[in-house]
Amino acid sequence: MRTVVAGATSPATAGAAGNANGEWPAEGRRIHSCVAKGSSMKPLIEVNQISFSYGQGPSQSVAAFTDVSLRVYPGEYVAVIGQNGSGKSTLAKHLNGILTPTRGDVWVAGMNTKDASCKQQIRRCVGMVFQSPDNQLVATIVEDDVAFGLENLGVPPGEMQERIDEALEAVGMSEYRHRPPHFLSGGQKQRVAIAGILAMRPDCLVLDEATSMLDSFGRAEILAVVRRLNQQGMAIVTITHHMSEVAEADRVLVMHEGRVALEGTPRELFAHPDQLEALGLDVPEASRVAQQVHARIPAFRRDAISVEEVVAEVDRLAGSGGERRHG
Amino acid sequence: MAGDFELTRNITIGQYLPTGSVIHRMDPRLKLLAAALWILSISLCHTYLGNVAGLCVCLALFALARIPLSYGLSGLKPAIPFILILAILQLLFYGNGYGPSGQVYFHWGILRITSASVRVVVVSTLRFVEIIFAVSVLTLSTSITELTHGVEGLLRPLGRMKVPVHAFALIVTIAVRFVPTFAMEMEKMMKAQASRGAEFGTGSWWNIARRTRDVFPLIIPLFNTALVRAEELALAMEARGYVPGQARTAYRRYRAGGRDIVMFLAGMALSAALVFAPFPF
Amino acid sequence: MGESNRGDILTVSNLHHTYLQGTPLAQPALFGVNLVIPAGSCVAIIGHTGSGKSTLIQHFNGLLRPQMGEVVVNGARLSNPQVDIRAIRQQVGLVFQNPEDQIFERLVGDDIAYGPLKQGIPLSEVVQRAKWAMGVVGLDFDEMKNRSTFAMSGGEKRKVALAGVLVLRPQILVLDEPTAGLDPRSRRDLLRRIRDLNRSEGLTVVFVSHNMEEVAYLADTVYVLAAGHIAFHGTPRELFGALDERPDLQVGAPPGVEILRALHSRGYHVDTTRFTVPEVAEEVAAAASGQRGPAAAAEPPSGDLSAPPTAWEGPAHRREPDGRHPHAHAEDRGDAHGR
Repeated sequence: MRTVVAGATSPATAGAAGNANGEWPAEGRRIHSCVAKGSSMKPLIEVNQISFSYGQGPSQSVAAFTDVSLRVYPGEYVAVIGQNGSGKSTLAKHLNGILTPTRGDVWVAGMNTKDASCKQQIRRCVGMVFQSPDNQLVATIVEDDVAFGLENLGVPPGEMQERIDEALEAVGMSEYRHRPPHFLSGGQKQRVAIAGILAMRPDCLVLDEATSMLDSFGRAEILAVVRRLNQQGMAIVTITHHMSEVAEADRVLVMHEGRVALEGTPRELFAHPDQLEALGLDVPEASRVAQQVHARIPAFRRDAISVEEVVAEVDRLAGSGGERRHG
Repeated sequence: MAGDFELTRNITIGQYLPTGSVIHRMDPRLKLLAAALWILSISLCHTYLGNVAGLCVCLALFALARIPLSYGLSGLKPAIPFILILAILQLLFYGNGYGPSGQVYFHWGILRITSASVRVVVVSTLRFVEIIFAVSVLTLSTSITELTHGVEGLLRPLGRMKVPVHAFALIVTIAVRFVPTFAMEMEKMMKAQASRGAEFGTGSWWNIARRTRDVFPLIIPLFNTALVRAEELALAMEARGYVPGQARTAYRRYRAGGRDIVMFLAGMALSAALVFAPFPF
Repeated sequence: MGESNRGDILTVSNLHHTYLQGTPLAQPALFGVNLVIPAGSCVAIIGHTGSGKSTLIQHFNGLLRPQMGEVVVNGARLSNPQVDIRAIRQQVGLVFQNPEDQIFERLVGDDIAYGPLKQGIPLSEVVQRAKWAMGVVGLDFDEMKNRSTFAMSGGEKRKVALAGVLVLRPQILVLDEPTAGLDPRSRRDLLRRIRDLNRSEGLTVVFVSHNMEEVAYLADTVYVLAAGHIAFHGTPRELFGALDERPDLQVGAPPGVEILRALHSRGYHVDTTRFTVPEVAEEVAAAASGQRGPAAAAEPPSGDLSAPPTAWEGPAHRREPDGRHPHAHAEDRGDAHGR
């Protein structure tokens, strides 16, 4: 039942660098360039055919997922999407060793998450932000909360101030540093939570449905922060069921009933709306519009996935842009 | 049944009133220690004059902390009935305990008012007021965060005796952090359940069974969400590298400066004076 | 606005509300809100956190009473202290955000029946009502009534909670962010059922949302609430058409509308009041085939079409809120109290 979209198993990579080279990348070229880049780089997180079941013993255990593999390269933006209960959140908790697989191994920067002595090192390397903005802040003052992780890592107090300032600045919450968290909006609380992770200077940020309890404004705040971090080179793994958040990723994994059902670039995935539909997922509206326009005008690219791309495509066809493109 | 659901809105734990005064800026450990000593000396002082002097010092503290006295008085208000009842009982019955010592002003049956019992009443009432004032200044000038850190700092020596001081301080901090969260949640639950037909507190007070049943729709969801919160919080803490019992560093360090020490010494001197000075009456 | 005619089931006129009134912490939330809900309509209330929408809907069933102004439900004035508030709460079914958090009985059937049993309605009728309520939300009565409430998916739990309000047989259903946190499949399913409740069962529906796709799908009338007053009132079509002139509304548009607005601003003569996917596709196709304006062709705004790195950064409306932050924060502070 594993329907992996062609070419998709190759590791794709980094946001800013990948985008800068001019044209709309056609599928082939994009993946080609990624392979070249990926092969020269060691994965930051390597998930090797892991399975996980809750409960003990063969009779009582319930499999959360089976045979999942995933590689996250430095600077990459990976989205994991699936319905509730598809095993995506359980998978996320394997990426920093909160859970360890029943079968298979997870390697983070060369460390096995089953190795208890590396725990602290792994947590520093892979930071995780959770769903509820209320349930992950421990302190009564914003800056104390950001300090929490640093205190755990044993960072010398003299160094903390700088890292806290830097982290709060990165999420745009510096002016709220002396506030108690309950005076903040949901999006602001999540930004504080992200700052708490950033202060630990991780190489990868995992967002475990971090936007699902926010309103559209809060979500936009978080996405803007995440996008900026990714552009600065931080690897991002986002777990979500919002398709609109997936469009920004370099690579998407679709989980269904505990397995990876689809994998590919957002463009590749959205080109198969019927498959996504069957998995209980949506296609972004811009992509649906593009497909319907394509049905009327075959020259219109059916794989435009964002508002800008649809608009650019109209410009291309309506204006003189058509001659400039070489396919 | 107009449904005043705003009760939880008024919760303000530790009414911190930031005025930036010298009292506010004092090292919380020394402030706590000085306050503890001062309260101890107040409860040891049994002269009229001493307690009047103590009251004056307390009033001076308000001025020094730049906190309006009305805050102290509002702290006193709920205690007034208690103080009054205590004073009357002491006045009427304490004279017996002191036996025939001192002058007897009034005697009827078991009621006996003597100069000693009058002293007890006046002194204990004054003490009460002084202590409430002192505690008010302390809590109004110290945020909960500082208080926790202060307590933790003072208890640190116990850590060597394997007392989990840090874990204790963390628990207190988290509890305080979640008070407003739960208050809001409770309010939301009450409103939501009322919207689907629940009623709270309308049953007669003697009908305990019914009133107990009435709170089920609140208590069970509240426990559920509290458990979910606790679980998620534990996960989030773990993900940020928290391991119970491990050595941690501290972001907030309080280094007592010269001014802190001077203020603490002044506090000690006042406390000592209150206890040992030969107040004439 | 505010005038009441016979077809209006709920009217709000000049409603003001201040939290902690008379204390130093007083916090105004509503300033003179006027709103009319005709019987059988489906009304969306849009506004971001802190705009006062939760405060407003809590007035609909008397959880909050008018401090100033009036709320009239079926002719009953809620400012009147003598009004039968239980009857109002029965007529106006209010479903809070994440209502599944309030489930407290062990069995689905018991939880749904809680409200009517509390009202003293005979068991046989309660069963009939529960059957209906579970039916309209898509839970099979015989199969689900004895299921444990704890072993259900998020989407199912939300349906149970919704049935727990519908079972009161309200005439108006008020929903606060009904689909928040659901995955796309559950979301679609729930939206369809709410739509059916309104269109087939004739229930008046009022819902709060900031998802414009939902608003476009469900609502026939839209009220935009901003900083405690009604900033816009009209049909979704009118709203989406007015967004260019009304940046003050701070309302996002569905991506389809964003496309049309972007094309419009580039000089294409597209109809920005259209918003469903087929409508948008039709307009886009017309524009692409050169029928809607030469302006863009004469001067392609991005200059070089072969270098659109921004095209990879996702829909345009997601970048806008940066400019709105100061605003959002100022108001969100008020929301810290859950409004």
